[in-house]
Amino acid sequence: MMNAMNVPSKRSTLERRLDMLILILFSILFIMCFIDSICSGIFINRKYWYLGLTSDVEDQFNPGNRFLVACLTFLTFVTLFSPIIPISLYVSIEMIKVFQVTQFINKDVKMYHKETNTPALARTSNLNEELGQVEYIFSDKTGTLTRNLMEFFKCSIGGVIYGKGVTEIEKAAARRNGTGIEEMESPAESHEKYFNFDDDRLMRGAWRNEPNPELCKEFFRCLAVCHTVLPEGDELPEKIVYQAASPDEAALVTAAKMFGFFFFRRTPTSIRVRESHVEKIGRMQDVEYEILNVLEFNSTRKRQSVICRYPNGRLVLYCKGADSVIYERLMERHNPFKDTNRDHLEYFGAAGLRTLCLAYRDLDINAYEMWNEKFVQAKSALRDREKKLDEVAELIEKDLILIGSTAIEDKLQEGVPVCIETLAKGGIKIWVLTGDKLETAINIAYACSLMNNGMKQFIINSDTKEIRDVEDRGDALETAQVIERYVAERLNESLRQAVESEQTQTGLELALVIDGRCLMYALDPELRGTLLKLSVMCKAVVCCRVSPLQKAQVTSMIKDGAKKITLSIGDGANDVSMIQAAHIGVGISGLEGMQAVMASDFAIAQFRFLTDLLLVHGRLSYLRISKVVAYFFYKNLMFTLTQFWFNLYTGFSGQRFYDDWFQSLYNVVFTALPVIIVGIFDKDVSITNSRKYPQLYKAGIENIFFRWRILIIWAISAVYQSVILFFFPIKAIEEGKNSSGRMLGLWDAGTMAFTCVVVTVNLRLFLACNFITRWHLISIFGSILAWFIFAFFYSGFRNPLDKQGNIYQVIFVIMGTWYFWYAIVLVPVASLALDFLHEGMRRWFAPYDYHIIQEEEKIKGVERDELLLVESPRQAPEQSLELTGLHGEMSKHTGYSFDSPCFDSFFASQEGVSMSQRSYDIARRASMRVSRRQSSDLGSDSPPPGHNSLI
Amino acid sequence: MPSQGASTSGVNNGTSTRKDSKRPKSSAFTQQELPACKPLLTPKWVITIFMLIGVVFIPIGVAALFASRNVVEIIDEYQTVCVPGRYTTNGEREQFIQDVNQDKHCNRTLTVSKLMKGPVYVYYQLDNFYQNHRRYVKSRSDKQLLDGNATDTSACKPEQYLSGDLAIVPCGLIAWSLFNDTYNISADGQQVTINKKGISWKSDREHKFGNVRPQYFPNNLPRDLNGSLIGGASLDPNTTVSKPFIVILLNEDEDLIVWMRTAALPTFRKLYGKIEQDLAAGSTLSITINNVYNTYSFGGKKKLVLSTTSWLGGKNDFLGVAYITVGSLCVFLALLFFLVHWRYPRRLGDTKYLSWNQHASAN
Repeated sequence: MMNAMNVPSKRSTLERRLDMLILILFSILFIMCFIDSICSGIFINRKYWYLGLTSDVEDQFNPGNRFLVACLTFLTFVTLFSPIIPISLYVSIEMIKVFQVTQFINKDVKMYHKETNTPALARTSNLNEELGQVEYIFSDKTGTLTRNLMEFFKCSIGGVIYGKGVTEIEKAAARRNGTGIEEMESPAESHEKYFNFDDDRLMRGAWRNEPNPELCKEFFRCLAVCHTVLPEGDELPEKIVYQAASPDEAALVTAAKMFGFFFFRRTPTSIRVRESHVEKIGRMQDVEYEILNVLEFNSTRKRQSVICRYPNGRLVLYCKGADSVIYERLMERHNPFKDTNRDHLEYFGAAGLRTLCLAYRDLDINAYEMWNEKFVQAKSALRDREKKLDEVAELIEKDLILIGSTAIEDKLQEGVPVCIETLAKGGIKIWVLTGDKLETAINIAYACSLMNNGMKQFIINSDTKEIRDVEDRGDALETAQVIERYVAERLNESLRQAVESEQTQTGLELALVIDGRCLMYALDPELRGTLLKLSVMCKAVVCCRVSPLQKAQVTSMIKDGAKKITLSIGDGANDVSMIQAAHIGVGISGLEGMQAVMASDFAIAQFRFLTDLLLVHGRLSYLRISKVVAYFFYKNLMFTLTQFWFNLYTGFSGQRFYDDWFQSLYNVVFTALPVIIVGIFDKDVSITNSRKYPQLYKAGIENIFFRWRILIIWAISAVYQSVILFFFPIKAIEEGKNSSGRMLGLWDAGTMAFTCVVVTVNLRLFLACNFITRWHLISIFGSILAWFIFAFFYSGFRNPLDKQGNIYQVIFVIMGTWYFWYAIVLVPVASLALDFLHEGMRRWFAPYDYHIIQEEEKIKGVERDELLLVESPRQAPEQSLELTGLHGEMSKHTGYSFDSPCFDSFFASQEGVSMSQRSYDIARRASMRVSRRQSSDLGSDSPPPGHNSLI
Repeated sequence: MPSQGASTSGVNNGTSTRKDSKRPKSSAFTQQELPACKPLLTPKWVITIFMLIGVVFIPIGVAALFASRNVVEIIDEYQTVCVPGRYTTNGEREQFIQDVNQDKHCNRTLTVSKLMKGPVYVYYQLDNFYQNHRRYVKSRSDKQLLDGNATDTSACKPEQYLSGDLAIVPCGLIAWSLFNDTYNISADGQQVTINKKGISWKSDREHKFGNVRPQYFPNNLPRDLNGSLIGGASLDPNTTVSKPFIVILLNEDEDLIVWMRTAALPTFRKLYGKIEQDLAAGSTLSITINNVYNTYSFGGKKKLVLSTTSWLGGKNDFLGVAYITVGSLCVFLALLFFLVHWRYPRRLGDTKYLSWNQHASAN
């Protein structure tokens, strides 16, 4: 397996930063211990006779060897201050994450896909918060963005556009503009696979009443005849199965069938078509077309022609192909629709449809015979046969008459454009990495609203004439050099333009399209930097014809080069390396093989669920985990600092301020649960608004909630609070006594301070969390209560845990004094006042975005989330759009795309694999079809009309 | 649209194949829609809460301050004046204090400035005395204090044995360094009784100290032990090394019990006794101090304190001042914020403050 890589173990960025934080805590620990131990060496002195330092003194207190005293006391301090290291943090985080995964992500009904009966599945609990910081998404195309299902969607015949469907991208555009929201009844017909077209003007023979019925007839015949499809199964329209080299072809032939030109049998020399409604509505006849020549499709020709003879002897060449090549070969005259059709092509292209132009030419028998001789010669040539065939084809493919154009929808997964748009608003950049051809990839980028005509596009494509010429010479080294030079040139030029455009602030968005071969050179160490610089400036990046390994390389480039958090999403085995390379790998589950899912960290059924996974679960997890970590940092630092202050007053001896058990249980019992509850439940804005305001996600990308500034604020708060929490209780009882005149001692002070610490630390959470459920209340007050209960029991009777009986009755003694009650109110309030002030000022004068939205929620209330009730997302109302809605003056993209049978040859040649492309391809398609048929069977129990009202 | 067909059929499917459905059970918990209260620290709340804290804290603080101010306290620092003036350094004073042949009684005269309602509490206050030092704190055997068993006294190091093998009860540094200055007070020539009963906490007296007869307790006064020991008080002045058994039991020796509740800070007061009578304003107290406790080697101060108590306790302004400070700060902030809010109100939930909207308007 050339593309296999070691499976990396993934840890989230936040967790790695947490390690840094722990290191910092260790240094703080070291510094505190160092200061105290030096001082203890200085302090120790025989003049303190009551310490009994004259004889029989252990090394730790022996004034005779101050250095040793310092060293040993250092160790004492390490144990005393060790609670600064939040060991329980890791356990708590792990618990929280497991909770998030098992209860929230896996059980989110919004990420449950009804059709495939697949809920979301988190396969690791390590990366929840990483989901909240993703900046780059690398997506596979087929099976991820698209369903690999082509549907005949629209067509233009003789300058008239047919087909009422509205593509997702048009809907999105209409939504953006807020225009053209006209309700239209949804197509009532249960639709045929590969065919999603409805227009009464063409269906059921109605085309005969159109202005140009002859041209319509040519259009349909061209569809029915000009292809390389094999029919299989019963020769009935309902049962036949077309074995096509590409799904586009299948869609076209199916379209012909639906229009009444049913292609049902192919022999080596002929094609039989059952034509209805041709002579008269309702009448059917079988017509046999003799196929004389097939001029096959390839990526240089970008067209395919068939020369056929009608039963009546008419000799016609039907041609379909890219608009660029067809238009070059049109007859000068007799093509009145040329310009209208070009407009239509641009419109289709902008709408994300895949277009092909259809044309025909009537041939003169003599001219044909002459040409055919040359053709036969070329076909039997031993050298350069391909090239010769192409040349011969050129001779006859000219003076064409344009019929019209087809527009096929590469069916996107449901909700993909909306999802991509939403993610883009959240500051996430989406790259499409696909093995498909350049045109297909660009097309999909358009269809997903990744790219549009308003963008400046940099296309770096190895399929240029220059490179082809060099390749034809067959010198591999020279080819490599030429491509490398070309790539370097293009990259530098593009970068220059990109920088220029950035500086002039034209606001022009940039898009980069690069193919796998160029990418191979662009990923070289010398060019890598340029590519990186250029690509991060681009809003959309499309890499086509890339191998699985290259997908991983591109991912790693951004991950390691740009140091951004990456997410890869894909469905097939070829995405595995990319899924493993990225920080987070997401597999599309529910349909094909399991390799991608097995390699992934999260598995979702649909691309659009990324919105929920990232914007809701990721964002919230990030928010929660950062809060939990910061809180742990604060609570342990603060706790330890109180002991530090105390030891300034104990001759730096390492005496504990709190009883051993208090200290041990502090992290485990008295402050453990509430923070976990916050880690599980905290939610800044409602789930609905998380989706409604994707921009909130930017906070995660910019790491706003876990940057050093935030931690420093927490640290300041910890220092401030520790000062209050140590000095206030101790000052309160320093010369204090109760009304019976008795004095309080060391353990009374410690217990009182500890009570204040527990109360303060737990109440601090109320300031930290946005969201208070009864679980918060139960856990916070429960923890405080747990302390009191523990204290009552622990000090209530002499017990073996308290060997010296230091704490015996202490809690009752101090609770019997007014000082205690004064302190328990004063100390938490005074400690929390600073945090309260900070939080209040923050919201007031420098509000975070979520603050504003919280307020909006408070004022307007949250809309009830309808999605919870409805099984699957509501369809936007159908709209009919004006043609002019999308195509602007800059429109250039005409959406030509056609999957040639040899579209995988690039990899084969690259890896030295020789295989019969065609059979491989057909086998693959055939197998796909089987699985797809199963899934479509699931969904094809056509619903009774009444059920529409549910939606 | 095809997707519509698909989704409707999905609904259809769902009802028919509910059993195999992997659809997660929807609950408010798993969908993260639990009912909750979402308190927002809006300016109004900030102002209100600050104001509220101020309003509550200031009266409480005033009450505490009044209580503290009503306490009458007389403090007399005597460690220097009770040593003859010819001893000028602490070293010399230390020699004086350890000299068996010197008489260390010292007379102090104090005036009661204000009526001291009985009971008046007598304290001694030490300074620079680290009762909270780790070596000191742990040097005791609580088991022994309770049952007198002298077998395991390892915790008591270095004061376990007298003269090598005589197990000390009570052992340890704390007991050994027991404070032993004594005070004798007369008011206007009248002898005042200092009641030593009930100066310790009941819980200590009854549960931490047993009916234990001390033995071989080292007497720090070098008179008896050839000048080598400098510990604290003798538990019973009538004992000697040859006659070590002491009449007084541990749980009756409240001075020891008080001393052994170690103080939190190096400056501390401990209760010496109670005077259960009023001391009239203007009356003169003449106090005879037996100044024998050695604080000179570490330069610690010794103070005699006479104090009344209030409902809150002794004279300690800290709580009152802290309450009033916090309270007034809060009121100040509340007023400040109120002015700011009144002058420049911020409309809540205004989406124009959203960062992306601000960027947009900046462009």
